[in-house]
Amino acid sequence: MTDTITAPTIEYLLLSPLLVVFGAAIVGVLVEAFAPRYLRAAFQVPLTLLSLVAAFALVIFVVVKDGVPNKAAAMGAVAADGPALFIWGTILLLAFVSVLLIGDDFVPSAVAVPGSVEEERAVSEGAAHTEVYPLVLFAVGGMLLFAASNDLLVMFVALEVMSLPLYMLCGLARRRRLLSQEAAMKYFLLGAFSSAFFLYGTALLYGYAGSIDLSKISTSLSSVGGQDSLLFIGAAVLGVGLFFKIGAVPFQMWKPDVYQGAPTPITALMASGTLVAAFGALLRVFWVALGNLEWDWSPVVWAVAILTMVVGAILAITQTDIKRMLAYSSIAHAGFILTAVVATAGAKQNSLALSGILFYLVAYGLTTVGAFGVVTMVRDPGGEAWHLSRWAGLGKRSPKLAMVLAFFLLAMAGIPLTSGFFAKYAVFSAAVSGGAVALVVVGVVASAIAAFFYVRVIVLMFFSDPAADGPSIVMPIATRGVVGFAALATVVLGVFPQPVLDLASKAAQSLFVR
Amino acid sequence: MGETFVFWVLAVVSVIAALGLVFSRKAVYSALMLGVVMLSLAVLYAVQDAPFLAVVQIIVYTGAVMMLFLFVLMMVGVDSSDSLVETIKGQRFWAVLAGLGFAVLLALGIGNAFIGPAKGLAAYPQNVPSLAELIFTRHVFAFEVTSALLITAALGAVVLAHRERLTPKLTQRDLARQRFKEFARTGRNPAPLPGPGTYARHNAIDKPALLPDGSIAAQSVNRYVARYEKAEGTLPPEVAQALESDSEALELEKE
Amino acid sequence: MELYVPILVLAVLAAGFAVFSVGIAPFTGPKRWNRAKLDAYECGIEPTPQPIGGGRFPLKYMITAMLFIVFDIEIIFLYPWAVTFDKLGVFGLVEMVLFIVTVLVAYAYVWRRRGLDWD
Repeated sequence: MTDTITAPTIEYLLLSPLLVVFGAAIVGVLVEAFAPRYLRAAFQVPLTLLSLVAAFALVIFVVVKDGVPNKAAAMGAVAADGPALFIWGTILLLAFVSVLLIGDDFVPSAVAVPGSVEEERAVSEGAAHTEVYPLVLFAVGGMLLFAASNDLLVMFVALEVMSLPLYMLCGLARRRRLLSQEAAMKYFLLGAFSSAFFLYGTALLYGYAGSIDLSKISTSLSSVGGQDSLLFIGAAVLGVGLFFKIGAVPFQMWKPDVYQGAPTPITALMASGTLVAAFGALLRVFWVALGNLEWDWSPVVWAVAILTMVVGAILAITQTDIKRMLAYSSIAHAGFILTAVVATAGAKQNSLALSGILFYLVAYGLTTVGAFGVVTMVRDPGGEAWHLSRWAGLGKRSPKLAMVLAFFLLAMAGIPLTSGFFAKYAVFSAAVSGGAVALVVVGVVASAIAAFFYVRVIVLMFFSDPAADGPSIVMPIATRGVVGFAALATVVLGVFPQPVLDLASKAAQSLFVR
Repeated sequence: MGETFVFWVLAVVSVIAALGLVFSRKAVYSALMLGVVMLSLAVLYAVQDAPFLAVVQIIVYTGAVMMLFLFVLMMVGVDSSDSLVETIKGQRFWAVLAGLGFAVLLALGIGNAFIGPAKGLAAYPQNVPSLAELIFTRHVFAFEVTSALLITAALGAVVLAHRERLTPKLTQRDLARQRFKEFARTGRNPAPLPGPGTYARHNAIDKPALLPDGSIAAQSVNRYVARYEKAEGTLPPEVAQALESDSEALELEKE
Repeated sequence: MELYVPILVLAVLAAGFAVFSVGIAPFTGPKRWNRAKLDAYECGIEPTPQPIGGGRFPLKYMITAMLFIVFDIEIIFLYPWAVTFDKLGVFGLVEMVLFIVTVLVAYAYVWRRRGLDWD
C-alpha cells in the first residue's frame, strides 16, 4: 500500500480553450452569487463574449505554435487533433454569434406563473435570469468536450454537461411560456432517454472490448472473437444516443417542438453548436471506435441518412411555422451530412469526406444562426411572429431584411454563389467518390424538395401583399451585426470558399487521433 | 456457498418488492418498495466484491434518488393519479408491442452472447483503491468536468424553483413591534401562551400549568385536547371551571 | 467478506435498539388515554385540514433536495480519494480541492440567492 500513484500528465495548453470556457462559466456563477442584480448583466455579457473570443484565440494559438497537434491529451481523455480543433473553432464562433442574439428573450422570473401579478412585479422590479450566460458557457464547454472526447466515459460526461444547461435554457422563453416549458420537458425526457441508451451502449461495448477507449475498442475488433452480439447491440444502442443528438430520423421527434419552444437565440445555438458537436462525436465513434466494423454499420447509416433527408424535406413542406420549418430543414441537413459519414474507404477518401463534413458544418451553422437571427427581428405584439402568414409581404415592408432571409434560405437550398452550394458539393462529391452514388441521388432529390419550401417562403415574402397589421421589425444593433456577419460569411463562403476548404482539408488531413 | 444463499434470499425479496412496486395502489408504497429493491441490489453488489458500487447504490440511489422520488410524489400530491386517456390512438398497443420487441431482441442478443473472462477486474484487484487510481489518473479530466454538472444542477434548481423575495422579510424586531402595537390597540397579551405543565406534577400536554397560588392557568389548557376530553366527559372539573371563568381564554377559543 | 462485519454488527445494534425502544414503551410509560393521541402528531397540535389530493409539498423543497444530491455526489468522489489518500499524494489533494471549490461555487450561489432561507 505504500507505492504511490504517479500524477497524470495534463497538456494544459492543448486543453486551454476548454479550460477558459469552463473557468469563465464558473466565474459567471460567482458573479451571479455576489454581484447586485443591476450589475449582473453588465458583467456577464462581456465575460461570456470575451471568454469565447479568448478560447477561439487559444485554438488558433495552439495551431500556430506547434502546427496541427495529433495527440490524446489529459491521459488520453481528450483528443486534440485537427478535426477537434477545427470543430472547437467552429463551435466557439457559432456560440459567440448566438450569444450576441440574446436580447429580451428570457423570462424575468421562471418560477412566477405565466401572466400572474407576480410576474408583472418581477418585470417591474427589473428581475432577469442572467444565469443564462454561465449556463450557455457550460453548454458550450460540453459541446467542445463532446466533439473531442477520446473515450466513451468522457463522451458521456460531456454529453450531459452539454445537454443539461440546454434543457433548462429551453424552458426560459419570455413569451409563449407554456410552449417553452413544454419544449424543455420534452427535450429533457427524450434527452434523458437517449442518454440512457448511450450509456447502455457504452456498457455493452465495454463488456465486449474491456475498455472504453475509442482506439482500444477499435483494436479489439480484430482480437476479440465470439462476442459479436455484445458488439452489435452495443454499437446499435450507442448509435441511437448519437443519432438522437443530431436529430436523425427516426429519432427526430424532439427537434421541431424544442426548436419552436426554446428562446430563439438558444434555438440558434442548438441548431448550430450542438449539431456540430454531435457530428464530431458521431464521427469519432463510427470512424475511430467502430471504423473496422464499417461493413456492418454502413447499411444502417445509409438507411438513416435516406430517411433523414426525405422525412426532413417532406415534413418541412407541410409546416406553417417558420421555426418548425427551420427545424425540419435542420433535420434534412443532418441527413445531407450523413451521406459523407458513410463515404469511407482509405485514409485519403476519409480525409476528403471529413473535410467536406467540416466545411458543411461551418457553412450551415453560420447560415442557420443568421436565419434564426432574422426570426428574432420580426415581431408581433405577443412576441416573435412565427406563423408564415405573418411573413407575407415582408419584402415590401422591409426589403433588406427579406432579402437577407431569402439569401439564407437559398444557401440552405444549396443554390450556387452561396455557401450552401459548396457545402453540398463537398459532401456529395465525397460521397460519390466513396461509392455512395445512390445516397447522393436521394440527396439531390431531397435538396430539390427542400428548395421548394425555401422558395415558397421567398415567394410569400416578395410576391404577396403585406397584411394591414403586419409584424413590426425590431433591429437591435447586436442582432443586426450577427445577421450581417452571417450573410457576409454565406456570401464569402459561396464565392470564395477556398481558404476555408483548405483549412478544413488541412484539419482533416491526419484524421482522428487513435 | 454464502454467496448463493444471499443471492436466493435477496432474489425472492427483491422480486416480491418489485412486484409490490408495480402493483401498489399508493404511489408512496411503490416508492418504498423501490427502496427495498435498491437495498437488495446494494447487498448483491457487496456480495459480488464490488464494495464501491454497493456504497454508491446506498448513498446515491437509496439515499438521494429515492428521496427525490418521494419528494416529487409529495409535490405532485400523494393521491393524484395519472390521466389514463390515450392521446394518440392506439399508442398504448404500439408502445407495448415495440417495448416487448425491444426486450426480446435484447434478451436474445445478450442471452446468446458469450461473455469472455473479465478483463477489468483482473488488472485491478482492489476495488476501491483501483477505482481511485483510475479516477485520479486516466479519468481525472472527466472527474473535474463532473463539477460543471453539479453546478448546473444547483443553478437549475434555483432558477426553476426559487422564488426571489421581492419584499423585505419581517424580522423578529418587526414582529415584536407588531405584537405590542396590537396589545396597545386591543389589549391582547403580547407574550406567548404559557406552556402546559408549569408548576404542575407532569409536563404532559393534557396537564394545565399552575399559577403561583396553585390555581389553573386557563390559557395553558390545550383547546384541542380539552375539546376531546369534554366530549368524552373526562375533562377534570377544575379545568372546566378555570376555562369558564377565563374570559380571555373563551375569546381565544372563538378565534 | 469480513469487510462487512462491522456494518452488519451496526445494523443489528440499530435494529435491536429500535425494536427494544418500541417494545419497552407500553410497559414503562404512563397511560392517560386521550383521543387527541390518535391524531396525527399525537401531541395536541390540531392537524390543519388536508386539501384535496393530499397535502402537497411546496416547490421550495426542490432546492434542498437538489443541493442534497449535489453534495451526495461529491461524497461519492471523496470516498475513493480518502481511501487512497496516501498513495495519491499532492496531485490528488490539488485535484480534490479544485473539485470541492468548484462545487462550493454552486453552494455560494444558492446561499447568496437566499435559497437556504426558509420561507
